[in-house]
Amino acid sequence: MLNTSRLTIFTLLALVLCLPAFPEPAEGTPAAPQKTDVSNDCSPCHRTSNPSADDLLPAAKCRRSRTNENLDEATPEQPEVVIMDQLTDLYVPVVFPHKLHAGMEAIGSGCSACHHHGEEGKIVTCRTCHEKTNDPGNLQRPGLKGAYHRQCLACHREWSHDTDCIFCHAKRGAIAGAESKGNADPTDITGKLHPNVAVPDKTVYPTPEQEAGSMVTFHHKDHVELFGKHCADCHQKENCSRCHDSAGPQKHVRQDSHEDCVKCHDTSDNCAKCHKDHETGTFDHNKSTVFELKDFHKQLACTKCHKEGKFALGKKNCKDCHEANWFPSKDFDHTKTGLVFSEAHKDNECEACHPNGLGEAPDCSACHDDRKYPKDQPGERTSTAPETPSDEKAPVETK
Amino acid sequence: MGISTLDRRQFLCRAGVAGLAGMTLSEPALAAADEVGGYGVLVDTTECIGCRKCEFACSQSNKLTELPLEAFEDRSVFDQPRRMTADAYTVVNRYGDTAGAVKPTFVKAQCMHCLKPACASACLVGAIRPQANGAVTYDPWKCMGCRYCMVACPFQVPAYEYDHALTPKVSKCSFCFERVSQGGKAPACVDICPPMCLTFAKRSELLGLARAKIKAHPEQYLDHVYGEHELGGTSWLYLTSRPVTELGLMEFGEKPIPEYTEPLQHGIFKHGVPPMLLFGLLAVAMKMFDSKEDK
Repeated sequence: MLNTSRLTIFTLLALVLCLPAFPEPAEGTPAAPQKTDVSNDCSPCHRTSNPSADDLLPAAKCRRSRTNENLDEATPEQPEVVIMDQLTDLYVPVVFPHKLHAGMEAIGSGCSACHHHGEEGKIVTCRTCHEKTNDPGNLQRPGLKGAYHRQCLACHREWSHDTDCIFCHAKRGAIAGAESKGNADPTDITGKLHPNVAVPDKTVYPTPEQEAGSMVTFHHKDHVELFGKHCADCHQKENCSRCHDSAGPQKHVRQDSHEDCVKCHDTSDNCAKCHKDHETGTFDHNKSTVFELKDFHKQLACTKCHKEGKFALGKKNCKDCHEANWFPSKDFDHTKTGLVFSEAHKDNECEACHPNGLGEAPDCSACHDDRKYPKDQPGERTSTAPETPSDEKAPVETK
Repeated sequence: MGISTLDRRQFLCRAGVAGLAGMTLSEPALAAADEVGGYGVLVDTTECIGCRKCEFACSQSNKLTELPLEAFEDRSVFDQPRRMTADAYTVVNRYGDTAGAVKPTFVKAQCMHCLKPACASACLVGAIRPQANGAVTYDPWKCMGCRYCMVACPFQVPAYEYDHALTPKVSKCSFCFERVSQGGKAPACVDICPPMCLTFAKRSELLGLARAKIKAHPEQYLDHVYGEHELGGTSWLYLTSRPVTELGLMEFGEKPIPEYTEPLQHGIFKHGVPPMLLFGLLAVAMKMFDSKEDK
């Protein structure tokens, strides 16, 4: 009799302990796909019907192939909020706005900033590895309580300059009706509803060590509004407290801005383009480029011509809108492209140098065996002229 | 029951017996809490958040006060460094300003449970003793209230119940001796610590853990485990990111305090030979003088 009841209690206990209580997606959150859904169909995870070890072709939403894509698309099953109710003797469960935090992963260090030490690309919950109590066999792995606290506090300490328990924990019994659900309204914390961020129009970085110029004017507003850059294009691996600091945002000190700039700009040998002895004005297409925007072009969005966010000069995607022979060949003033022809080239027909079309790069081979554009130029570049396309790191591809 | 029912004669008798036993047994007892067998706690000051839950748990577990949890959430106590009191076996202090660029460091203080404790060496009646499991325990029934332990302790740990006029006790962390004795159960403060910056294990394992942490995160820790060698070693060990002198901990040499005093103290009475020799010489001298006078 005694043995039977003991066995029953033990079994019940084991069952309760085995129940997957965490993380619990809040209501309305798409649940993680059940295992049965993918038992015979490879397509949810692979883009090929016959995946092999060499050719897995993981689907875009597969978290193993996740880099820094938008989490919303990459992992639709991520929990909106996570109720941490595993260790609640003194306080009510913590409502952790997972999606709100995860929304910043592109600017931070990705999911692995918190979901650390896991298999490459695989997201596991804290309690997968961290037991409720310290593991005597592995003292380096703290128990679940320690894991939660260390993970959160690593940033929160820097942010709030405080470690008050009640910042995250409501005290047990302190809030009526909050016992089971926590004290936050999950509908308040939906994903990327981030308040407007105050960004500078421009920032002037002193570069006294540079011979080319003692300052760099960075037009933040232009990069966002004109060039269509998103925060995470430049801001990556940022510390949370960079922005979220109760003592005010930390002053932006870049030790090496090149790291961010080289993603788009070639900084190898044209220092003077950015390093100047005076502040530079905002971007003006009419002044800064050879192509004056008039009438219709003025009304176009930048990306209409500059596809894929690339602004390299030279080949534009004119032909997307214009017919093949739209250039007014006789009247075209070639100096607008920043090139004054040498005497020998002045009277050439357009097609003599542009056999592949007027919007295409010139081909010298019809007359010269040993000359090649852009290394060799058919004249002088004017002082206001932009660099030749070869100086650009990423020439725009024409379709 | 206890000392109050003993009369003076009984007490002195027992003290004498204990003293005699102590002369022969004290050295093996001191060596019992060696580095291999004893438990310890590693305090990672870089992870401590100053939540004072350890103070709360200690107070509850040892029935020191009846203060509620709220009383331990008051962070204004950090404005002044605190020491252990009769009501608090452990206190957390903050070093550095919260508004500063560098995060403040919180340091828990309690009895370090030395492997070669000066307090035990100083105790005349053997009320304080190092135990094999690493704890340095205090027996109030033996204590006669001389407070030599308070003077002897290099970490200034023991406090005294000055407001208990009739039955005052020395008070200090017991390493939750009862709990630790029950199959190595962790002390109350270790159990409650939210970021688990206190790790309870065999001292030898903790030293390994500390070394591993320093190796894995050299940017986070100074390459020094406070308590590994200090004063012959302590059961409680500290990992810090700043020099210990900035964190209310004193720098010490490796020589245990008792080794400064005991060679002399024990030498005088070693195996009873020096006193017997002295009194023997006296006896011979007296005898000689006696015989001279007789003549």
